[in-house]
Amino acid sequence: MNRFSIVLGLASTLGTLLVGQDTPDRVTVPFRDAAKARTLVVVVVNGGMTIRGYDGKDAIIEANSRGGPSRGRLRLPSAPPGMHRIDNQNSGLDISEKDNVVTVNGGIMHSVDLLIQVPIQTSLKLKTLNGGHLTVENISGEIEAENTNGAVTITNVSGSVLANSMNGRVTVSLDRVTPDKSMSFSTMNGIIDVTLPADVKARLKMKTDNGEIYLDDGFDVKLDASSRAPVVSDRRSSGGRYRVRLDRTTYGDINGGGPEMQFTTYNGSILIHKK
Amino acid sequence: MTCEEAKTLLSEYWSQTLDETRELAFDAHLAGCETCRAETERLGVLWKSLALLPVEEPSANLRGRFYETLGAFRQGLESAPRRSLREKIVSFWPRQPAWQMAVSFALLVLGVGVGYEIRPEKQEQPEVAQLRGEVSNMRQLVALSLMQQQSAGERLRGVGWAYQVEPSDTEVLSALLKAVNQDSSVNVRLAAADALHAFGASPGMRKAILEAIPKQSAPLVQIALIDLLVDLKKKEATPDLRALAADQAVHAGVRQRATWAVEKLQ
Amino acid sequence: MNGTDNALMAQVGAGEVAKLAVLFERHHGALFRYFVSMNRNREWSEDLVQDVFFRMLRYRTSYDSKQSFTAWMYQIARNTNVDHAHKRRGEVVGIEEFTERRPEPASSAPGPEESAVRVQDLALLKRALDRLPSDKKEILILSRFQEMKYEDIAVVLGCEAGTVKVRVYRAMRALEEIYFTLAGEKAS
Repeated sequence: MNRFSIVLGLASTLGTLLVGQDTPDRVTVPFRDAAKARTLVVVVVNGGMTIRGYDGKDAIIEANSRGGPSRGRLRLPSAPPGMHRIDNQNSGLDISEKDNVVTVNGGIMHSVDLLIQVPIQTSLKLKTLNGGHLTVENISGEIEAENTNGAVTITNVSGSVLANSMNGRVTVSLDRVTPDKSMSFSTMNGIIDVTLPADVKARLKMKTDNGEIYLDDGFDVKLDASSRAPVVSDRRSSGGRYRVRLDRTTYGDINGGGPEMQFTTYNGSILIHKK
Repeated sequence: MTCEEAKTLLSEYWSQTLDETRELAFDAHLAGCETCRAETERLGVLWKSLALLPVEEPSANLRGRFYETLGAFRQGLESAPRRSLREKIVSFWPRQPAWQMAVSFALLVLGVGVGYEIRPEKQEQPEVAQLRGEVSNMRQLVALSLMQQQSAGERLRGVGWAYQVEPSDTEVLSALLKAVNQDSSVNVRLAAADALHAFGASPGMRKAILEAIPKQSAPLVQIALIDLLVDLKKKEATPDLRALAADQAVHAGVRQRATWAVEKLQ
Repeated sequence: MNGTDNALMAQVGAGEVAKLAVLFERHHGALFRYFVSMNRNREWSEDLVQDVFFRMLRYRTSYDSKQSFTAWMYQIARNTNVDHAHKRRGEVVGIEEFTERRPEPASSAPGPEESAVRVQDLALLKRALDRLPSDKKEILILSRFQEMKYEDIAVVLGCEAGTVKVRVYRAMRALEEIYFTLAGEKAS
């Protein structure tokens, strides 16, 4: 286990030779075992993140403070003569690596935007809480992304995705899908916009209260007979009842069906495109 | 490094399993050897393309057949000790003909008696029932073990398996409730809340759902739990739902849903 | 290390047979792909997967948890495949018909890795792979599709890890040759 903290703006010694700090706000952390599966775990309390796959072996972490005096590169004011600053761990990022899992925690005191580059084949567990975007590009692996107050945008990825946003839009574009994996996309108030490869096989479970469901014409989707029943049935004229069907879930098989793929939104619509 | 040596490292270079020292040596060789560099590049493109080939999926049949086989096998295992008992009787078999006759007669009497005692009405039925029991045990096992996995995707699959166990399965039910309350992934919690529908008749369900709602950080899951109360027609939950609707600390969408649920349950 | 493949199989060996279900869930897809790549017949491949898990049950006590489960599983898979090939000898195989039924490889969208990939014609690549001699094809399936460690492949094939690495290289060379031959045929 190699665990250390960095404080942005300080070219401090990081206590381990494995880690290189290229610039004050850029840190390189290698995954120990190139042969084993890699995982990146990121939690940002205030701020956002972009995770991008690249043709390399290490995790390259860059941090940009928001609205600081010099945007793009954070420099803390130097200490007055004769004094030195005691660095508070909370003011920076906390980065650690264990068993091929790189963990980054940040944005606790200051709002921060992270750009993290990892090898394409890396699994991700990402969480942001306040006011940030969450973007993932060019990754192949299992992706778990949750954003409380912003959008989740995952494009040009392969593997499987679990994505959730409370108030934002969830946009996911999968180039290839790992067979046998269940997936789930959910948002309270946003739109779910998912693009799937043409040959994807899945059992769709789509639930929206106030939105619509749009399916790409190019997809071979067989909706369950029960799903096609009208949501509102008015039989008052014939002495029957007026009822709204409670279950707003629509089921269907895409390309003959497969593992379950769940879409849940309350106020948004669901769009499923063909790649 | 010679070209021959470089070739032995190629496969590891593609699979990214070279350690740093060897990779540096390999890179150094490539820098000076145009032939090897070109070959590494060409074959590397093919190597990457191989991962893009379409993947074949087995039919759903395969899973069903496996569970039947496993069930039958376990049944066979359980009857195995009986067989070894028979072997013991064989080893007990006396060598003297006179004794053999006596023992045979004794066994015959015993056999008739036992046969009369346990003669089944229909011979296949208990076996079929047992096999079915085995299969459902295994589904339970798969559901439970997947729900304990590190990967949220696997846990989601485990929740999917919960639909295939008996609605009376308390172990799977408590695993689902645990997932609703504690799972780190909103999507897994949401799926687990949905899966609780199948266990609606279980005692203590209303209480469990009402306890789960305030623990939730995700309004989406809270709403799913409120919907569950409505679906299961848990009228007795009305006072709690009213209180929820009046609680200013609760997300507006959730309060709205609780108000709607109170009307619905009237 | 509870819950790892090795631990689970050891438990199966110790009598907790039901735990095999977890191993089945984890590996049946990959095994199926191995067999389909080797035989190009879906029906056989399902039978073979079934047979592999049945053999695991039969030989469950012979599994040593210090040994890699993946390697052990593919050793069984290989033997199963060889046994079935003997039985099937003489049967006529509908390979062409099977190839037709496959999803059109060109339709599958490019993955993120493709940024570096210039080969567009995956259908051609698939045909080239099918034409490889089976020992070469197998080593590519194990190393590339199943992403097995070279040490594990060495155990499965009964050779040194170093030999595996060289054989992967040779198989790639052979694949390239067939691929360009096919591409040439297509062009002319």
